[in-house]
This record gives sequence, structure tokens and C-alpha cells, in this order.
Amino acid sequence: MGTISLEHSDCLYWLGRYTERVFTTLKALQETYDNMLDKNIGYEEYLGYFELPDKYDNNIDFLRSFLFDKQNFSSVAYSLERAYDNGIVLREDISTEAFSFLQVAKDPLKNAKSAKNTRLALLPLEDVLYGFWGCIADNIYDEEIKNIIYCGKSTERLDLYLRMKYPYDEVNREFERLCIRLRRVPKNTPYRYNTKFLSDLVEIIGEENEYDLNSGKAVSSLERLFESA
Amino acid sequence: MKEITTPDFTDAIGNANEINELLRRFGVKFGIYKNGEFKEQFFPFDPIPRVIDAEQFADIENGLIQRVDALNSFLYDIYHDKKIVRDGIIPEDFIYISSGYLAQCEGITPKNKIYSHISGIDLVQGKDGEWYILEDNLRIPSGASYPLIARELTRIASPDAFRKNNIVDNRNYADLLCETMEYVNCGGIRAILTPGRYNAAYFEHSYLAEHTGSILVRSDELFVEDNILWHKTYSGQKTRIGVLYRRISDEYLDPLTFLPESLIGIPNLMEAYRSGNVGIINAPGNGVADDKGIYYFVPKMIKYYLGEEPILKNAPTYLPFYEDDRKYVIDNLDRLVIKDVAEAGGYGVVFGSDMTAEKLGNLKDMILSQPRRFIAQEVIDFLDLPILDDGQTVMRKADLRAFVLSGETTRVWASGLTRFSRNPDSFVVNSSQGGGFKDTWVRSL
Repeated sequence: MGTISLEHSDCLYWLGRYTERVFTTLKALQETYDNMLDKNIGYEEYLGYFELPDKYDNNIDFLRSFLFDKQNFSSVAYSLERAYDNGIVLREDISTEAFSFLQVAKDPLKNAKSAKNTRLALLPLEDVLYGFWGCIADNIYDEEIKNIIYCGKSTERLDLYLRMKYPYDEVNREFERLCIRLRRVPKNTPYRYNTKFLSDLVEIIGEENEYDLNSGKAVSSLERLFESA
Repeated sequence: MKEITTPDFTDAIGNANEINELLRRFGVKFGIYKNGEFKEQFFPFDPIPRVIDAEQFADIENGLIQRVDALNSFLYDIYHDKKIVRDGIIPEDFIYISSGYLAQCEGITPKNKIYSHISGIDLVQGKDGEWYILEDNLRIPSGASYPLIARELTRIASPDAFRKNNIVDNRNYADLLCETMEYVNCGGIRAILTPGRYNAAYFEHSYLAEHTGSILVRSDELFVEDNILWHKTYSGQKTRIGVLYRRISDEYLDPLTFLPESLIGIPNLMEAYRSGNVGIINAPGNGVADDKGIYYFVPKMIKYYLGEEPILKNAPTYLPFYEDDRKYVIDNLDRLVIKDVAEAGGYGVVFGSDMTAEKLGNLKDMILSQPRRFIAQEVIDFLDLPILDDGQTVMRKADLRAFVLSGETTRVWASGLTRFSRNPDSFVVNSSQGGGFKDTWVRSL
């Protein structure tokens, strides 16, 4: 439709971020769950990535909080609610079909809460999220709108990968993907990159042999990527 | 052409759960405030459709077109020459003390002289088969989106029901709305103005925006400059709005013209509108024509403006404002339905038969002291419709909101919102009070 307000652009960006946060958090928790099979306490590393305090009695307590507790800002349930909140005001931009996936995504999460096998019960949630992204790709003809959502998605994924110290290859792949999307953002819009912080990121992530997995610099630069110059 | 058969609902009924699940999936909800808290509720859908035969619908259609044309003529007259008042057809008391009359709209002529572009006319069918008009809604009538999406979904869930019956396809509402908007477009894009996500009808705002290709906006995204309405874009540019389908009430529309404390209005919008630079759907000031007190006079309007006999009847109505009617109302209060003209949404409606002697006494005192505030109507014994309740078919009161769109011509959408009461003893069908809805099948020949 060619006319995007500031408010809509903000919702589009955060729709991308929160939906991706659901997905990547879910994946990371599955890995953490797998680690727990061999350890009494298997979540310390995960909390460490995000500098969160350990308030949990045991593995199950941690998992239930990070999956289902809507009061926990780092949980899947919280992120899904925020994705829904952004999606509901974007129906006319993203289509009723795409929005419906955000409604439907609540069901497997709810079912998993009382399921005997949580991991199996959560598999349909992944399917729904893939469906959501398929719908976004297919139903939105306005490339500008689509690109704002994708910028949010890529930014979120890169942020989480950096924080969770993913291997260089995966970080670099996501960074390259983000750069492609950033190049499509029109000038004088809120998600136009800040040249300085993008340059910093290029330098920090640039070469594998110089990449420091434990440096927090990339996360800091990413946080400031859309600051006005 | 398919042979007309007895309507076969079997398939639709068998898929009730699937249809409700689809409605849930697509976020078909309405908002409601309870104890100061906003909650989203699903609008319960009943799978047994209301069926209206083609001939019967043709009569309804003619009657509705006639009524809405007269109401549009009335609105033009009231905000210009007021001939109907000067000719003594309607007492001026009913115009100027109506909260819907807006002096700020005096002399404004909307593009193509259309005031009520989208009219929601509430009807009920009596047990004698006769249709009665219960209420005209000419401000911001809501509800079209529910049967619209329901039909999409029932066709998915119950294909046989549509294969076996000749039903007019109602999925053209967005096209009709687009044409209506374009007819009063003053040059620019189409926009639907919503108060925001926490409005009761937000689903409808967003769904109609999606299906008409309009942008959905809140007031803080809009501004008026040089008497033109603009949409602020995220790049600092502006896009002209040619027609604004506003879903906020008149009094909040422009803080410089109406309520200064409105935070959801657009300053100077009325000047842009007055200058003919933007079409507003529906026109501000329409409330004077859908006031419950004015309802009494609509049949007289039809005769006055169109020189025709009304095709559709009003429910028998009494105005305590008139002495004879007042006496009748006071003498028969225990069997009439009394409506407070200032209320809407099913509120302010009381049935005399449900009231204690003390409450009846209090109501009589109020009617005597404020006769203009109330109307009284005979209780129409309207037709019960079957609904599915926990697997059983039960009979419940239901009405029909018909949607009439006025553009180059006046057209009736071959569908409507059939709302029913889920309470066996209630005549109140409003969604805000727990009612549900069902599909309305208009049979084709």
C-alpha cells in the first residue's frame, strides 16, 4: 500500500523480533533440556548467557519457567504473547492467515504444559512457526513491509546467537543475512542502519581467526545498530 | 439453475466445532470491559443458519433502501433548510435536544450528499412473518465482518450445506464497501480510523482494512495541513487521505470542534471535511437521525421526502412527549418495553413485565418528569430461531442487523448479522451482553 507509519514500522520490526525469539529460545531450551539428561543442574550455562540469577529449584522448575511462565520476560510464552500483541495490530499488513498462526501457536504451548513428554508436545509449535514465516513470505507483496519484519527477525537471531556464543559459522551466516536485509531499508527510516555500528560489527565478526566468541562488543554494537547518526 | 430444496443444515450442524475452531484460529473476537479490565472474547457462532427466502428478502431490500434514502434526505434537510420541521412533521424539540444533533455540522454538504454511507438497520421478524424495524444505526454500525468471515469458514467446514442449497454468495461486502468509499473519495488513499486495539470492534476494523485494501490508522498517525488530511509515514513523508472510514464517535473526532479533551481525534479534521477535501464515513452528525426518539418519525419521513408508503413497519411505538401517548404508556407500563433514548448496545432497555411495583412506580415518575428521554414500544412476539446448545436444538430470540450501503446507488448486502440471545428468557441479543451470532442465508431463485 506504500504508506507505512512510524507506529506500524515499530510493530513490524518487533513482530519479527519476538517471533524469532520464540523460535530460537525454543531451540536453545531443547538443547538445554538434552544437557539436563546427564546433569542434576543443566541450566547454569543458559542463565549465564543472559546474566540472569538462578532462582530455580531444579531443572524442571527452570524449564517450566522459561517455557510457560508469562511473567518471565525471557520465556517462550512471554515472547509469544508479545509477538501476538504486535501481530494483532498488523492484520491488514500481514494478512489474517499469517496472524492466525500466532493464535494457533498458543495451543501447542498450552498443551505442552500438561503433556507427559514436553519436547514431543512442543514439536507442533515449531511447525506453526515455520508456517507463520511461510505465510509472511507468501502473503505480503509489499517488500518494504516484509523487509522490516525480516530485519527484526535477523537482528533477534543474531543477538541471541551472539549472546549464546554460537559457533562463528552460524553467527557469520546470520550476520550476512542481516546485511542483505539492511541494504534494502530506505534512507531516512527508523531501521536504516547506523554506519558506525554496522562498521563495528563488520570488523568484530569479519574474520574467523580474529573473532572473539566471548567478547560482548558485537552485542553492544548490534544494540545500537539503528541509532540515529 | 439448481432446484430449490428444503434447506439442509445437517452438514453445517455437524461441523459446529470445526467452524468455531476456525473462528478462534482467525482471531474473530470482540473486546469487552468488565470491572475496568479489557478482555477479548470469542463471539459464539451457531451453525444453524437463519434462512430468508428470495422473495421475502426482496421486500426487505426494497423497504430498507426506501428507509435509508429517506434518512439520508432527512439528514441533508436537518443540516440545511429544516423543511420537515418548518412543515410541522417533526417537532423541533426532537431535533435540537437530541444528543446526536451537532450544530457544528450545520451547512456542511458531504460529497454527493450522502450522510449515512453504511447503515445498520436492526429488524425482527414477528411470529406472523412480518418484519419490523427495531432500530436504525447510522453512526458507526458494526458487525458486518462477523458474518463475512463466518461465511468464508462455513464454506470450508460445511461444503455440502452450500452444495445442496441455493444461497446468495455474500462475500462481496468488501467490494461494496470499497465502492462506497470510493464514491465519496475526495482524492487520496482510503483509510479506516480505529481508536486502537482495545476497542470492542477492533477485529472488525482490522479485518475490513485488510479486505478493502485500506490502511488502518490511529489518530496519532494523521494530521491536517492546509485543510488536507495526511498520513504520516515512517520516512517523514506524507500521503493524502481521500476518504476516512472512521470508527470513533463524533464527539471524539476533532478536539478543535467537539470535545477538547479528546485524545483520539484529529485536530482540524472537520475543517478539511467542511472544505470538501476528505470524505468521512459516516458523516458526523448522523446521530440526530438514529435517535430512538426520531425512530418514531421515520415512517413520516418516508412519506414526506419520497411520497411513498413505508414498505417496512416500525414496531408500534409511543412517545411520552405527546400527551395521548404519555397517558397510554403510563396506563400500560407493565406490558410495554421502555427504552432510554440516550443508551445503546442493549442497555437502557427495560421490560415492564419484569419490574416490581416499586420500580414501575419509579419509572413512571421518571417518564412524567423527563418524557423526551424515553420511548415505549409494544413487545413484539418475535420469532424464535433454533440454536444448538450443548448438542440440543433450543429456540431463542434473534434479530437481524441488515447492512445498507449508500454510494452511487443504495444497496442492501444480501446477508446480515443475525444475533441471538443465549439466555432462554431474554430478548437482548447484543454481543456485549452474551449474545451469539449465526450465518444469514438469503436464498437465490
